Amino acid sequence: MTNLNDIVEQINLLAPIPAIATQIMTKAEDPDSSLSEIADLIIKDPALTANLLKICNSAYFGLPRKVESVKGAVAWLGLDQIVELVLTNSVSGKFNKGLEGYGLGEGELWRHAVTSAHVAKSLAHRYGASQNKHLIYTAALLKDIGKLILGRFVAFSFEKINILVHSQGYSFNDAEKNVIGMNHEELGAMVGEKWSFSEKLIYIIRHHHLTDESARQDLETTLIYLADIICMMMGICSGTDGLSYRFYSDVLKRINVSEKDLQAIIAETSENQQKIEHLLKLF
Amino acid sequence: MERDQGKANAVSSVTAVNFSEMKISSNPVETLVAFSIGSGIAMAIHDPVGGVGGILNFILPDSTKANGTNPAKAPFMFADTGITAFLKALFEQGAKAENLKVVIAGGAHIMDQTGVFNIGQKNLEALKTCLDGYDVKIHHESSGGTQSRTISLEIGSGRSIIKTFGEEEEKV
Repeated sequence: MTNLNDIVEQINLLAPIPAIATQIMTKAEDPDSSLSEIADLIIKDPALTANLLKICNSAYFGLPRKVESVKGAVAWLGLDQIVELVLTNSVSGKFNKGLEGYGLGEGELWRHAVTSAHVAKSLAHRYGASQNKHLIYTAALLKDIGKLILGRFVAFSFEKINILVHSQGYSFNDAEKNVIGMNHEELGAMVGEKWSFSEKLIYIIRHHHLTDESARQDLETTLIYLADIICMMMGICSGTDGLSYRFYSDVLKRINVSEKDLQAIIAETSENQQKIEHLLKLF
Repeated sequence: MERDQGKANAVSSVTAVNFSEMKISSNPVETLVAFSIGSGIAMAIHDPVGGVGGILNFILPDSTKANGTNPAKAPFMFADTGITAFLKALFEQGAKAENLKVVIAGGAHIMDQTGVFNIGQKNLEALKTCLDGYDVKIHHESSGGTQSRTISLEIGSGRSIIKTFGEEEEKV
């Protein structure tokens, strides 16, 4: 088994996401905070504002005239969209790289993260969690942050993990835990603690594969899980872990997802994918 | 000399076939690839006599079950509409049913994903039902399990390669 201290030390070496992004995340997750508070936070950061305006003025949005201010951007695109862009922009550099161990090439983890965030947002609307849409978007985007560190340890122990998964029926995250001593959910939650994420965001990252039975009662965690398995089923940049995670049909039944619903969500995701591909090019 | 010149000009190309897409080619130096297939299925079909082949990469079994999606706009998303359109397009380009080499990859599932939610299995069943109607046989199948797969088809040789993480390549 790997010395866990070696892994935990790597958290300190991972450059944190900008403080402004964490502040915006916290504000956006709180249903009581006002939209103008978030806009004020963005305006205070000139580099972020400049980047945001560049994205808003790209051909992707096709705005009829050039936007020169955060207020103008909010007026055209709505604050929800602006919050998503800021969060997505603030983590893109971390997720855009290739990932050894998980067999992901450059940009693949990023494509998975952004697609699952959009699927999760759509699920939030479908299944009565709209008030927490920013939390759900962010959690889906960041759920695999532990993989950024664990990847090299997975690469080192890949054969053992692969045997447990394909010969002994372990899920990939259980095999990580068994062989390395820690899985990417736990490590991701530790990164979240270090970077002062909200308790709920850390909880979702820690439980997004729903191994813990109590997490299956939590609507937000369930929606992120569902977005993740939909992306796995569609093969959206799945790597060495593939589809090797547990399926909990009782969870789908509890939130009332039928077979037909599942197929409709997959179809919707497929139809939106071209738009996501264009969006990915902005960051 | 002329032949060498011809070889130098024949730059090979790789074309990706994303999910819910179909591509057909008769360019002998082209290779079609469907990357990272999960529960969906990529079918590689080749006619060595006609020198034509293609890949269909569908993700759902039944066009009548996808609420809100118009199958006429996305026929290659579904087994039923996709396979019909794929075979029709191949036949239009000179392929003959009796010559077809059919290789399929995909139909994987999440662990314990049984019954109605096992879309990988449903995709396989839908594919087989559809092919029965055309009297077309499957030459090679790599399906099920919990791994994603990548399949390629070389139009010139008709060779398909299926790659699965942690396993040997299958060349057929």
